[in-house]
Amino acid sequence: MPPTESPSGPRPFREGLLRLEPPALLGSRCTACGATAFPPREFCPACRATDGLAESALSAEGRVHSFTVVRQAPPGIEVPYVLGWIDLPADDVRLMARVVGVAPEQVELDMPVRLELTPFDTAGDGADLLGYHFRAGVAA
Amino acid sequence: MSLAPAHVAGVGMVRFGKYPADVTLERMAVGAAREALADAGAPLTAVDALYVGHVFGGPVAGQRVAAQLGLDGAPVSNHENYCASGATAVREAWVALAAGLHDVVLVIGVEKMTDRISGGVRPDPGDLDASVGFVMAAGHAMSARRYMADHGATRAQIAAVAVKNHAHSVHNPYAQYQKPITLEQVLAARQIAEPLGLLDCSPISDGAAAVLLCSPAGLRRLGLGGRDVGGAVPRVLGVGLVSGSVLTGTGDLNAEDVSRRAGEEAWKLSGVGPDEIDLVEMHDCFTIAEIVRMEGLGLVPHGQGAAWTAAGHTSIGGRLPVNPSGGLLSRGHPVGATGAAQVCELTWQLRGAAGARQVEGARTGLAYCKGGTVNGTDGGSVTTVVMAR
Repeated sequence: MPPTESPSGPRPFREGLLRLEPPALLGSRCTACGATAFPPREFCPACRATDGLAESALSAEGRVHSFTVVRQAPPGIEVPYVLGWIDLPADDVRLMARVVGVAPEQVELDMPVRLELTPFDTAGDGADLLGYHFRAGVAA
Repeated sequence: MSLAPAHVAGVGMVRFGKYPADVTLERMAVGAAREALADAGAPLTAVDALYVGHVFGGPVAGQRVAAQLGLDGAPVSNHENYCASGATAVREAWVALAAGLHDVVLVIGVEKMTDRISGGVRPDPGDLDASVGFVMAAGHAMSARRYMADHGATRAQIAAVAVKNHAHSVHNPYAQYQKPITLEQVLAARQIAEPLGLLDCSPISDGAAAVLLCSPAGLRRLGLGGRDVGGAVPRVLGVGLVSGSVLTGTGDLNAEDVSRRAGEEAWKLSGVGPDEIDLVEMHDCFTIAEIVRMEGLGLVPHGQGAAWTAAGHTSIGGRLPVNPSGGLLSRGHPVGATGAAQVCELTWQLRGAAGARQVEGARTGLAYCKGGTVNGTDGGSVTTVVMAR
């Protein structure tokens, strides 16, 4: 049983984008054509249906479809960091996320990675606002 | 149904580059506008309306320009489609002429960036991509890495885009950079987003470009109607505009379906086919972008753009010259000005007045802009301007 969270406990940095326990990104799955979208949308981008869209917790297992090591960014973004296109084969979803747990020069195409929630920001009440990244070297 | 073409009576630019604070957005815009009016031999009083493309110029930048230029009181509209803003202003001006609303319209693309942008451009802070640290260079870097893996292209072939475009801009007096660079310089440049380095990236620039567009009645008003308007005065045949689609699945990262659709719009609106294009002004905000967008348009075979560039097929004198102006990499990229600057270049090329960077026999040209990113889609806005002499 996960502990009950106080109102000031960690929460998603955007409502409806992710589940805390067990950690998962939330997509929208079209019951008409089966396509899954992330972030969730009120229409199906594949078949354009606007009915029958269901919330769907996405697989935590991904692989790096492409990546870059960002060495220069606007003020306020600390460099370097690894940014990747992450494929979730179980859901046929591609999304952009940072890749951690691996030295930039060790990242490889198709490397397995696993979802991890991480603070993106701090709320006014001091609570962590949780976002996501993918960690290398811990895939199932 | 196709709309009537717009005639390009005059064009003008201020050289793109980095200017001090007292060279304001308004001052640059006025400078480009006066050059375009002089090029057409047109008095300011002949202008019916002003269309201004910009991104970072703030509220009513176009009206601020009008008040300095002397077009105060005229209909003025501001157009923001990120890096396609200038071209979007051209499209709206073309539509207004074809609709019969106006006969002589001035389009200005302008941007003052160097005093307000550093480290690169990025999406709106509210866009999900911004939350994970997306910057434009990173997107193109991931495109480049996947392109190399999928097509066996080399880093040097991608870098060849920068070498080629800098070689072209040696002959462009309006370009920010007018010196050639070597392949070794591109490969050894400081890394921005691996595998792309500094010379794979277009610069942060200031600048303005202006285009005076006319209906046939407008040409007569300017005293240009006596000429063979199909020859001496190049025409904008049509301007395509599409936005990115929300993608699903895990397909080809470089499919460039948004470019394909923008091309289809261009061919449909202009009546020109892709095999009739003699030269392209392409939105090479990054080296790899020129390659994949040319492929997406169907002007270069899929997966062969890097090899084509390295082989010289996209150089002036090659099979299909791309960016005789030097492109964004070398002319500079004041984002809202770029689309208008591309129309200036096509105009000079189609007049046969491009000097040492002239594409011989240029009769029909395409200018492509891609502006902005939206999370989950294959782009923000894409414009395709087809021009002919």
